[in-house]
Amino acid sequence: MVQFKETSLAKVKEIIARYPSGKQKSALLPVLHLAQVEFGGWLDVPVMDYVAGLLEIEPIEVYEVASFYSMFNLKPVGKFLFEVCQTGPCMLNGSDNIIDYIKQKLNIGVGETTTDGMFTLKTVECLGACGYAPMMQFGKTYREHLTKEKVDAIIEECRAKAN
Amino acid sequence: MARKLLLEKAHVEGIRHYDVYRREGGYRSVEKALKMQPNDIVEEVKKSGLRGRGGAGFPTGMKWSFLAKPDGVPRYLVCNADESEPGTFKDRYLMEFIPHILIEGMIVSSYTLGSNTSYIYIRGEYDWITDILEQAIAEAKQNGWLGKNIQGSGFDCEMYVQRGAGAYICGEETALLESLEGKRGNPRIKPPFPAVKGLWGCPTVVNNVETLAAVVPIMNIGADEYAQIGIGKSTGTKLISACGNINKPGIYEIDMTISVEEFIYSDEYCGGIPNGKKLKACIPGGSSVPILPANLLLTTAKGEKRLMNYESLSDGGFASGSMMGSGGFIVLDEDQCIVRHTYSLARFYRHESCGQCSPCREGTGWMEKILLNIENGKGKISDIDLLWDIQRKIEGNTICPLGDAAAWPVAAAIRHFRDEFEWHVNNPEKCLTENFGLRHYADPVHVGV
Repeated sequence: MVQFKETSLAKVKEIIARYPSGKQKSALLPVLHLAQVEFGGWLDVPVMDYVAGLLEIEPIEVYEVASFYSMFNLKPVGKFLFEVCQTGPCMLNGSDNIIDYIKQKLNIGVGETTTDGMFTLKTVECLGACGYAPMMQFGKTYREHLTKEKVDAIIEECRAKAN
Repeated sequence: MARKLLLEKAHVEGIRHYDVYRREGGYRSVEKALKMQPNDIVEEVKKSGLRGRGGAGFPTGMKWSFLAKPDGVPRYLVCNADESEPGTFKDRYLMEFIPHILIEGMIVSSYTLGSNTSYIYIRGEYDWITDILEQAIAEAKQNGWLGKNIQGSGFDCEMYVQRGAGAYICGEETALLESLEGKRGNPRIKPPFPAVKGLWGCPTVVNNVETLAAVVPIMNIGADEYAQIGIGKSTGTKLISACGNINKPGIYEIDMTISVEEFIYSDEYCGGIPNGKKLKACIPGGSSVPILPANLLLTTAKGEKRLMNYESLSDGGFASGSMMGSGGFIVLDEDQCIVRHTYSLARFYRHESCGQCSPCREGTGWMEKILLNIENGKGKISDIDLLWDIQRKIEGNTICPLGDAAAWPVAAAIRHFRDEFEWHVNNPEKCLTENFGLRHYADPVHVGV
C-alpha cells in the first residue's frame, strides 16, 4: 500500500495550511513533487490515487495535472536523471553535441534508461540558465558550462554514489 | 559606470542572509512604507514610472490601482517567478543571491495592496532557489517582518513559496493562478482580469520578481529620483540577461540610456563576440520578440543609434524593430544558422503550448515540422509562404499571448532572412554541411574589426 512516511505527512499538512480552508487542491503540485521524490522518481497510478485521497479530490484531477507538467514522470526513470536543455541559447553553445555525447557514452536514446537502471536521458526546454550553457538539470540543482569532460565526471560521480 | 539599484549589494559577502542584508540597509523601505497610507505608495510607484519587468512593460502603479477592494473579500499578491522565456535568467540571479530584496519588496507591496497572504510562484526547476527563498522568509519572520502585526503596525503578512512543475505557459498570469490552484496551466479568458477575479476568485495582483524588487529602491530613494534615471518612459534600471555568442554572458543592471552597440561590444557589458567572429543577429528581449539582423539592431530606421530601452528597441514596429520584452538578450554570431535556430524556438513553443486554442496547438506543431524539413534540405519554396501564412493565423487568435509569442519569431526570421530560407531550399545537399553565413546581414560598423 502507498503511504507517505510520517515526516512527509507532516509536510503535506503544513503545505495545506498555506491556503484558505477548502482550497487544499492548491497543494497538488507541491505534494506531487514530494510523492515523486519519495516513491521512486515517478508517479504510478496508485501513487496518484493516494495523493487524490490525501487532498480529498478526484483521481482524474490528479492525472490531468500530472500529465500536463513536464517535471512529473509518468513512467519509471533511472536512479539518475540527466535533463539536458536543447532550446535556442543552449543550442548556440553546443547542446546538440552534449546530447549526442551522452547518448553515445551511455548507449541510450533520448527518453531511454540504461539497462542497469542507472541513467535516464531526457531533453528539456529552456531551464533559465542560458548564460551558462550548455547545461542540464541534475537532481535539485543545475550543472552548467557542460563539456564532454564534465559529463564524464558527472557519470563517474553517479557511479561512485551508487556503490 | 551605471548606477546600481538592485545589484548594488550583490557582491557583499553573506548578503543572502538576513543579518548582513539588514546591516547593509535592508528592510528600510518596509519601515518607511508602514508609516505611509497605502494609496500614497501606489501614487509613488505610479510617479516612479516603473513598468512591469516580466515582458509586457505595463505600468506597475496603474496595475495596482486597478485592484478591486470589495468589503470582506481577501486580496492577494502573487509574485511571478516562473521565469521561462528562453534567454531570460535574471530573476533567478536576484532570488539566488539577494533573496531578501524580493521579500522586502513583496512586504511593501503586500501592505500597499492589502494582501495578508502572498505567494511566490517559482518555476519547479529552481528547486534549490526555493530553499534559499524559504530560508529568507523564515529569517524575515524571526525578525518580525512577516507574521502577525509586523513591526507593531497592526498589519499581518504571511508569505509562501510554491513550485511549479515545468510549464512555460504558467508564466502567463492567469495560467499561473490556475496552477497555483492545483490545476493544469490553462490561461483564463479575460475579462475578468485578475485584479477583479484572480486567485480563488479574489482580487489579485501578479507581478514579476524584478518589478517587486524595484519597489525597494523606489521607496528608498523616492519616486522622483528613480524617474530621473533612464530616459522617457523607460525609467529606473533594468536587468538584462545576456547570452548566446558573447564573451561575457551574465546579468547586467543597465541604465536604459546606453546603446545596443555599447552593450554588445563594451567590456563593461557583453565584451564583444568570441573568437573575432562577427555579429549576425540578435533577439534583444527573450525568444518571443522579433529577431533583428545586425544592421537593424544597432541603428533604427531613422538612422539613430538604437538604445537599450522600451521605446528605442521597438522603434520601427515589427518592420524594422523588436521589443524590450523580458530583457533576455540573445546574440548570434556569423556561424549561426537562422533556419536551425528558428526551428529550435518553434520546437520550444510546440512543447509549451497548453493545447486549449487550436491555432496555437495545431499551428506550433505544423511550423516545427516545416522548419525541420527546410533545415534538413527537404523544404520547398512554397513552404516559406506556408510558414508565413500559419504564423499570421496564430497571431491574435488565441486566448493568451503564447500564440503571438510563437508566431513572432517565425515571422521575423522570414521577414529579415528570407534569402537564407530560400538558400536552404535551393541547396538541399549543401545546407546539411555548410552554413549560409553572414552575407549582407553584417553589422556595418564592426565588420572586419
